[in-house]
Amino acid sequence: MYEEPYRWVEAVGNRRTYLDEQFRQGSPVVALGYDGGLLLTTVSKGTSKLYEIYDRIALGGMGHPADLEKLRFSLLEMAHTEGFNRSPSDVTGSRLVKYGIAPVIKQAFEEVYKAPFIVRIVLAELGQKPEKDTLLTINYDGTFEELKEYAVLAATKQAQARMQEYLKAQKPSPCTLEQGLLLALRTWAIGSLAHQQDSAEAAADGGQEARRETAASIPDQAALLAHLREVLADKTLECAVLERQQVGSSKYRALKPAELARLLPGDFQAVVAR
Amino acid sequence: MGMQGDFFQLLKEQGYQFGQPAAAGSGVDLPSATTILAFKYRDGVLVAGDRRATAGNMVMYDRTDKVLEIDRHSVMAIAGVPATAYEMVRILEHSFKYYRRTQLQELSFEGKLRAVSKLLKENVAAALAGTGAVVPVFAGYDFEQGAAKIFFYDILGAEFEGVEYAVSGSGSPTIRGILHYVNTWGERPLVALNEEEATVQALRLLTSAAEFDSATGGVNRESNLYPVIKLITHEGVRVVPDDRLKPLFESKVVRHV
Repeated sequence: MYEEPYRWVEAVGNRRTYLDEQFRQGSPVVALGYDGGLLLTTVSKGTSKLYEIYDRIALGGMGHPADLEKLRFSLLEMAHTEGFNRSPSDVTGSRLVKYGIAPVIKQAFEEVYKAPFIVRIVLAELGQKPEKDTLLTINYDGTFEELKEYAVLAATKQAQARMQEYLKAQKPSPCTLEQGLLLALRTWAIGSLAHQQDSAEAAADGGQEARRETAASIPDQAALLAHLREVLADKTLECAVLERQQVGSSKYRALKPAELARLLPGDFQAVVAR
Repeated sequence: MGMQGDFFQLLKEQGYQFGQPAAAGSGVDLPSATTILAFKYRDGVLVAGDRRATAGNMVMYDRTDKVLEIDRHSVMAIAGVPATAYEMVRILEHSFKYYRRTQLQELSFEGKLRAVSKLLKENVAAALAGTGAVVPVFAGYDFEQGAAKIFFYDILGAEFEGVEYAVSGSGSPTIRGILHYVNTWGERPLVALNEEEATVQALRLLTSAAEFDSATGGVNRESNLYPVIKLITHEGVRVVPDDRLKPLFESKVVRHV
């Protein structure tokens, strides 16, 4: 019945609603540039959401772990065969996305008889020079965006917009790793709170009134970090950097609990040291 | 889980061919790279190589780096046909990275040794045809055992552990004898040498090899050319810079007695 154009449009529309629903329980991802490179942050439960893809490329994702794995593997395959057959400098985030996974994701999304990828992805690429650093986000329908400075993944457009606004207003320039990390974590908390709120509103069917009211008030820094601490009681803080000064060709490094404990305020010691 | 995380397998699936035999035409002098050595010293393993590549009687290149870093904790020193050796190093480098990034853990030291062996076995046909023989020395830090180790291979891919030292290449017979002598009857065994003493020893060994083997390039002070010396400790691979080798060579190697 999808052969009729109208049905197809309708089916794709239903798919969007279905997919949007799938991210509600997901954890936002924040990626931003700092003076030493690029930082990726999220909070995960069980499976990791931040990965090394190539010498200067890292991935952060939201969505279904199996779908994320599938795309991660195809990125790894493409990057390594290209890096071997041509050269590591020919492996770029933009090529991996535009000619690699974006068309695959789009096709899966539009083939309404088949299952779509339940994923949102951010690819961080450390350039040879800081001004060449790039962040690419890809949505479940294959649309992608190339960004500088910062990028976020969140469950809803509203949550995403809030996080971006916060980053725009708060990001210092230049920004140290410590400043960047704290800012990323506060931004993550904004996204996470927005998810909670959206879910609550959807549940209560509260309507536009409540949304407009809360949109104006952004919790203060202490409240954001308190929310994060609360979440971290049964989840894991994940942070990774692409570090320009890193010795050797691989620039990716996951921040270990000891380093996080050193960078974060004292009251985080207990939750990150686990 | 089969051969998951196997980069070499992935390459082969995509049609990549490695170690294809080709008969060398008569009168063709294949390039080869010569004289590499590795020995254990106090802090880990020292790996060194001269810088000459030759084709028959001709010196092809005098700035070859035969001690190649495969990752932060392992190096492969190469003797033999450089074209094959460099390709092997490229495959290994990508294989170790691919394994780590797909499997989310480092390939074990034993796994790395197997990978070298496997490539050499794939290369047997080319090695026997005379166009691709490579005789490498592989050294790295084994985190499971907490020690830096040395392994050497024959052209067929058999793996041997160099408990104290290993050598390869055309200049190796000379230095093998010296290594045995120094290690057995010297003031102290090699493993007791500190970083500076080990570096001096390596410079002397390669200078001796160059003395008796025309295919080994010694130190060329006029052109500021020194051997490549790399140190492997638990911290990773470190290159001994030329400006450190220069004074050591002048004070401890040139007409020392």
